[in-house]
Amino acid sequence: MNKQVLVIGGGPAGLEAAGQLENLGYKAYIVEKSDKLGGHLLKWDRLFPESISAAETLQKLLEPVGHITTFLDCTVVSVSKTGEHFSVQLSNDATLNVSAIIVSAGFSLFPAEKKEEYGYNIYNRVITSADLEDFFKTGSDSRIQNPKSVGFVHCVGSRDEKACNRQCSKVCCITAVKQACEIKEQYPDADIYCFYMDLRMYGRGYEDLYLEAQSKYGIRFIRGRVSEVAEDETGKLVIKAEDTLSSKPLKITLDLLVLMVGMIKNADNENLSSLLNTRLGDDGFFQSASPILRSTEGEIAGIFFAGASTGPKTLPESINEAKASALAIHGYLSKQK
Amino acid sequence: MPATLFKTFKDIIADCLIHVQIFKKNILLGYMHFSIAFGWFMLILVGHIEVMIYTPQRNGVLYYPVFFRYFVMETHETLRGSFFFFLMDLSLLLVLTGIGLAIYKRFHSRILGMRRTTKLRLGDKIALYSLWAIFPLRLLAESFTANISGGSFLTISINHLLNAFVTNPDHILPVWWGYSWALGLFLFALPFSRYMHIPTEILLIVLRNAGIKSSVSRDGYAESEIYSCSRCGICIDACPMTSKKRNIKFSSVYFIRLLRRRSTESLATADKCLMCNKCVDACPVGIDSTRLKLLKRQEMHVRSRTDYEYLQSIENKIDATDSVLYYAGCMTHLTPAIYKSLFKILKSANIKYTFLDIDGSICCGRPLFMSGDKESAKELINKNRELIRSSGCKTLILSCPICYKFFKEEYKLDGIDIVHHSVYINNLLTSGNIKLHKGIGSFVFHDPCELGRGSGIYNEPRELLSAIGIVKEASQEKNLSICCGGSLGSLTLSFSEREQIAKSSLNSLLTNNPDKLITACPLCLKSFSTYNTIPTRDIAQIVSENLI
Repeated sequence: MNKQVLVIGGGPAGLEAAGQLENLGYKAYIVEKSDKLGGHLLKWDRLFPESISAAETLQKLLEPVGHITTFLDCTVVSVSKTGEHFSVQLSNDATLNVSAIIVSAGFSLFPAEKKEEYGYNIYNRVITSADLEDFFKTGSDSRIQNPKSVGFVHCVGSRDEKACNRQCSKVCCITAVKQACEIKEQYPDADIYCFYMDLRMYGRGYEDLYLEAQSKYGIRFIRGRVSEVAEDETGKLVIKAEDTLSSKPLKITLDLLVLMVGMIKNADNENLSSLLNTRLGDDGFFQSASPILRSTEGEIAGIFFAGASTGPKTLPESINEAKASALAIHGYLSKQK
Repeated sequence: MPATLFKTFKDIIADCLIHVQIFKKNILLGYMHFSIAFGWFMLILVGHIEVMIYTPQRNGVLYYPVFFRYFVMETHETLRGSFFFFLMDLSLLLVLTGIGLAIYKRFHSRILGMRRTTKLRLGDKIALYSLWAIFPLRLLAESFTANISGGSFLTISINHLLNAFVTNPDHILPVWWGYSWALGLFLFALPFSRYMHIPTEILLIVLRNAGIKSSVSRDGYAESEIYSCSRCGICIDACPMTSKKRNIKFSSVYFIRLLRRRSTESLATADKCLMCNKCVDACPVGIDSTRLKLLKRQEMHVRSRTDYEYLQSIENKIDATDSVLYYAGCMTHLTPAIYKSLFKILKSANIKYTFLDIDGSICCGRPLFMSGDKESAKELINKNRELIRSSGCKTLILSCPICYKFFKEEYKLDGIDIVHHSVYINNLLTSGNIKLHKGIGSFVFHDPCELGRGSGIYNEPRELLSAIGIVKEASQEKNLSICCGGSLGSLTLSFSEREQIAKSSLNSLLTNNPDKLITACPLCLKSFSTYNTIPTRDIAQIVSENLI
């Protein structure tokens, strides 16, 4: 019988890993805690930097998954390792006997209401980057009414010790640039501002998009964090920030404010890591055996990682890591009899 | 004046002899201090009376009453004699029980209500061990001579026992020497030890009741405070920073010791302090160590070159002659849900309000003040006072206790009623201007340091909450409330240290499993909501949600 592998989390990394494992001749199972495969990709409209459709990307990821056994609305309840085998009990009472486990449990979005000074869920015209993506996808959001001025706040809940997240979320800088361009396309008359600490345009094509945002779309980038947001009588937002390049405080009235929420650990990482007997880093993400040569392997033989379960990653990074993880499993299982 | 004198006399008896404050903490601990202080005092007093009665020619000779039994042969046959003998033995017994407890406390301080006690230095140790030795030696010495110079139930009985195996009366002498030595050593070590508090505390009480406050951290009144610290260490347990055995060296007792030694390290300790005032509340001597720390910061502060001229360009255009004035302050601007809720409440009560700092605040100045920058704080105070005065308001509402305390104490806004929003809303409820829906939800109220210990407001927020639901108790609340960890008071605490404090405070608050944690301070709200497992709300939020 084919050796079996359990994939925890049915987001892009989990789907890619499961597909690859099937290609290599293993039997993969996917356990997904929500009622749909696809993870955060389900909620996105277009992907940076080339505005590729998220739905089509997901469609391609799902293609090989057709015949893979998936358990939806399901979580891992207990794991016990005997020799080289894991016996895994699921919340739907099924028991799986597998030779390896991939943790591709992903990340959560920072709850924006925790930064109360930005007024999410307090003021009607404050939304998150995920809300905006949903608006692009569905075309409707009662909070977005033909805005004449829009602000983007970078690093909301990222690189913020007070919010208990010191890590950079990697994707928000470029996502903000992408979304700023997109909203300008939709509302050409709108003035768009991005408030940033510093812009991390490290990927291929990112810098080009950033330059285009300024030259073609006229988006204004202001270096400085927003200190507080208030609402005037008409419901418009009054933003206070500091332009640290000109060392001046500034006040802008906006119709819409978009908070670039960061990537944080899943709340159930702690539980999952204790079930799998693996370690978490200080940031709450999973810790791999070695950050350079064995970044997809756990410290315990048979446990592997893919995607944002080991920290914030872009989509192509997650997909590549899923492939690498499948290959690492292949190497590990080939050595067994 | 006679009232002050009477109060001073009463305070000295209550605090120096009976130790009422320590009795309130723990009965055994109180008894320990009471028995030693009161018993010793009685020994001295009765000793002097004996000298006056029996050897009036020696009256005024200091050593005479101390070694009275050695010099004077008396009889306990007379009623008067046996009365004094009995009194002396009883006092000695009282002191000995206290000494016994003190020795026991060195090994098991928990029984006496203290988790941690102070680490002793050499001077303290010499004084402590000689203090332990004085009274057992005195008992032994007086027992030896009890068949010659007289005694009572204690000394006579021991004398009978001793006579059974010590027959040579020359052995009496070394014991008297021992007693004499122990006492001498104690008195010699006293100025170098924590026992300096015995004479100094009396002076402290006199000065305090005369209304004197320290204006520098080391001299004058501060000096009497520093020497009055008995280093009992009650403040170590009280300090929120010391949970999990961290930061014990930054507690007030060690700060005062550093001040006493004129060590430059005292500044680092002063900077670390949360200024939550919990140690001041717990101190049985009533030393205002927070003020000493503040003074230390002010003395060491290097005048910044910040320019406040822009304040002059701000116009005094706010008019609140026919409305109440509201000042949000910097912190409430970061928690807009609080003022939104407050305005909803004011509207439902048909109260006209004016938002003083709608365009952003000029800080109240307290953070600068607490960091030691008194001059800069004054600039802000002056501008804010000008704005408030020129608005013509009668009532000023504040939702931030940090501002509230500062406005009350430093702003000198006579004629203007300064109210914290929790009190104002409660007044609206009791006067029937708002009506609230009472549900079955349960709350625990966190007393913000500046509102509770800082301003003495404990009941109004609880009254208000009990109109909405059930108010549950925290394991440490009201004056024992633990700081949320966010305090602006500390200049050097790290995030991880603050996290520790927030969590230990939450631990106390969530003891009885409330549904929601309610507080009345924007800073507490922010600190708790980061780590809390149940919803955290400001009192204005919960009231506005339950308006009928």
